[in-house]
Amino acid sequence: MKKCVSLLLVISMVVVLLSACAKKEPVKVDNKDGENVTNVDNGTDGEKEDPVKIRIYYSDNATLPFKDDWLTVTEAEKMFNVDFEFEVIPIADYATKVSLALNTGNNTPDVILYQTTKGENASLALNGALVPISDYADFTPHFNARVEAFGLTETVDKLKLADDKRYYLPSLFDIPFYDGGLILREDFLDAEGLEAPKTFDDLYKILKAYKEKNPDSYPLTILAGPRVLYRMTMPSYGVSVGKNGASGTNTLSWDYDKKEYFAGAISEGYKGYISYLAKLYAEGLLDPEMADPINGDAWSQKMATGKAMATYAYYDQIGGLTGASDIEGFKLQMYPSLEGPAGAHHQPKSRTGSGIMFPAATAKRDDFERVVRTIDNVFFSEEGARLWCLGVEGVTYTEENGKITYSDELVNAKEGVYKSLQVNHGCGSDVTQLVWINEREMTKYDENYSRINAEVAAMGNVIQEIPPTPLFDDMTAEDAGVLQTPLFDTFEVWADAFITGRKDVEADWDAYVKEMKTLRIDEFNKLYNDNLGK
Amino acid sequence: MKMYRSKGNIIFDAIIYFVMIFVLLICLVPFLYMLAVSLSDPKAIINNEVSFIPIGVNVEAYKQIFAYPNFFRAYGNTIFYTLGGTSISVMMTALFAYPLSKTFLKGQKFAMKMVVFSMFFSGGLIPNYLLISNLGLTGTRFAMLLPFAINQFNLIILINFFKSIPNEIEEAALIDGLGYFGILVRIIVPLSKAALATIGLYTAVFFWNDWFNGLIYLNTDQFPVMLFLRNIVNGTSMLGDAAGSADKATIAISIKSAVIITSTLPIIILYPFLQKYFVKGLTVGSVKG
Repeated sequence: MKKCVSLLLVISMVVVLLSACAKKEPVKVDNKDGENVTNVDNGTDGEKEDPVKIRIYYSDNATLPFKDDWLTVTEAEKMFNVDFEFEVIPIADYATKVSLALNTGNNTPDVILYQTTKGENASLALNGALVPISDYADFTPHFNARVEAFGLTETVDKLKLADDKRYYLPSLFDIPFYDGGLILREDFLDAEGLEAPKTFDDLYKILKAYKEKNPDSYPLTILAGPRVLYRMTMPSYGVSVGKNGASGTNTLSWDYDKKEYFAGAISEGYKGYISYLAKLYAEGLLDPEMADPINGDAWSQKMATGKAMATYAYYDQIGGLTGASDIEGFKLQMYPSLEGPAGAHHQPKSRTGSGIMFPAATAKRDDFERVVRTIDNVFFSEEGARLWCLGVEGVTYTEENGKITYSDELVNAKEGVYKSLQVNHGCGSDVTQLVWINEREMTKYDENYSRINAEVAAMGNVIQEIPPTPLFDDMTAEDAGVLQTPLFDTFEVWADAFITGRKDVEADWDAYVKEMKTLRIDEFNKLYNDNLGK
Repeated sequence: MKMYRSKGNIIFDAIIYFVMIFVLLICLVPFLYMLAVSLSDPKAIINNEVSFIPIGVNVEAYKQIFAYPNFFRAYGNTIFYTLGGTSISVMMTALFAYPLSKTFLKGQKFAMKMVVFSMFFSGGLIPNYLLISNLGLTGTRFAMLLPFAINQFNLIILINFFKSIPNEIEEAALIDGLGYFGILVRIIVPLSKAALATIGLYTAVFFWNDWFNGLIYLNTDQFPVMLFLRNIVNGTSMLGDAAGSADKATIAISIKSAVIITSTLPIIILYPFLQKYFVKGLTVGSVKG
């Protein structure tokens, strides 16, 4: 009897456990394309109605902590007759929270900001956890118009998944910014009578000159990690490989002329690049600590104390340093991309970014159409775009004959117009600003920054497009993954060895190429090329 | 008593002192450094002048974190979870441990096995989330308080402690007419203060440090301070894989230090007063009476 009861209890426990694990039926979203479309423009129809309630996930960055009384938020609610309930989630854990909400379908918000359909989201989307928003194009007139105006139709089309549907509204850029690059001590150039660098040889000469004056320094350092340096410089050598290489393949690169992938990691371009870094390292011109990520504080210390004089970083970061250094005349300046064997290029950038997703449950709301139209209005209409970029006319800025003038409070702010608008009013947050117009953005920065951007724009194709992502099915993705991991590991080991001189680029190059070929880099490359534009 | 102090003894003592001071410094130095950095002028930090004494004392970092919109609310939440969660946990653990300490009770062995089983095998993240969610607890503060009411490890400690209390005391109480509940409340609990304090402390530290459960079950205005702390200290460095603008975000070390100091201070202040229970806790329940 006792045994029977125990057995029964164990069985019931197992059943309960298994039922908890049972897969939820994917929520089906009906395709309502073209049905019941009413012409709601700029939310004016909504004024007679109660505000539409929208629960929204927001990715919070500690450098720009969200405030629900930001001018942008309160004004957007008033302008578009909406009642937002922001779920502010720390950025480090944002992916976890989103994944949990989408996987379980429980406690999901109506809208999720700052997402793409890369990685896990793609399979979630294909399994019905997300609304295929491209099916509801009639509900997003402002987004459609903006895509067309920016000439992004083809780019946005490429965001479709294997089922030929797009599952998010990406943020849109008319022209990508040159927001970071080579930053070095202009005061040193002036004192030594050196010209501003144009090529990597010029940079070498400058670093060499600094090292002679300051033998205990390592003139070139970087912020964050080697990837920042690689991303910003490699394209000038015709390759983009390694962690965060633009292609995401780690070892392949994109040939912009032939429009196909090639084995960048074993190309002559990469050989030239790694030789250059090896030379810098051997002569003590490259910070040996750069193999590990260098945090902002250590980086600031190196620059401010003169342990380093050049760096690859972002323009925003110069300001804080200039005033902090004890070195007399200390002045940092950002320079356009240096010219290498393949021309002068910065890191490739996409003209679309993270954007807005709708979980499948949202489509079940009776007012689904109104929710989508409101979101389209809030983030993509001209009024909305201006609000998230500039704030409110008459409060944060005024405009006369197309010239934008910011309020005295912003102009005189210690941290500058851009940062002050961000922190105090919520303008220019990557999460909520989905329309980026270069010319409008430049009004927030000092003249120097605008001048550099204009200079870079005049140089032509400095910022290239991010290479297309092949559309793998699950099996091919697995095959690609199996090939990619050992290739990348080997690439990393050799890259370190080449830079630090443990392996000689000239003498050991063939051995390296042979090893990469043994690991089937050519097959990996073919897999990518074969699945392009499928 | 007069102690005989030979040269060897003195050298031995000196070595012990040396080692202990060394260990103490290992623990203390990072904390002192953080304190100094959090109170120093940013210029001094950038120029690498700060060691253990704040340079150009300023409290700007503290002012800034206190200006973070959710800091105080998150702090209040953590205090609430710690106090509420610990009280619930101690009460529930005691209520469960007492019957399980009675070997004559029918099914006691089976229940014990179930406790041990669930200690080693849990449902996993998604089933747990679904369970909490289907119970209607997600988005409510109970999601932090109830699921962690009974920790098996603490429960076993308490069961063993209860077992060590002589049966004769309970028998006398039974004869005097007390029921089992009365015995638990009036006799067992007062006799088990050390054990309850120990598991209370374990639980309190758990609730104070927990951020993950807060993240998955709660809404923004219910988040604990540790989630906030994690976002500031770790948030930007975790972004490494995302290309582009994420690399721009850096937070001054003075702010990170100030946040760490502020959010760990209560436990650090409390610890010396309660640490004797922790030491006791290691042996509590290990010997049966």
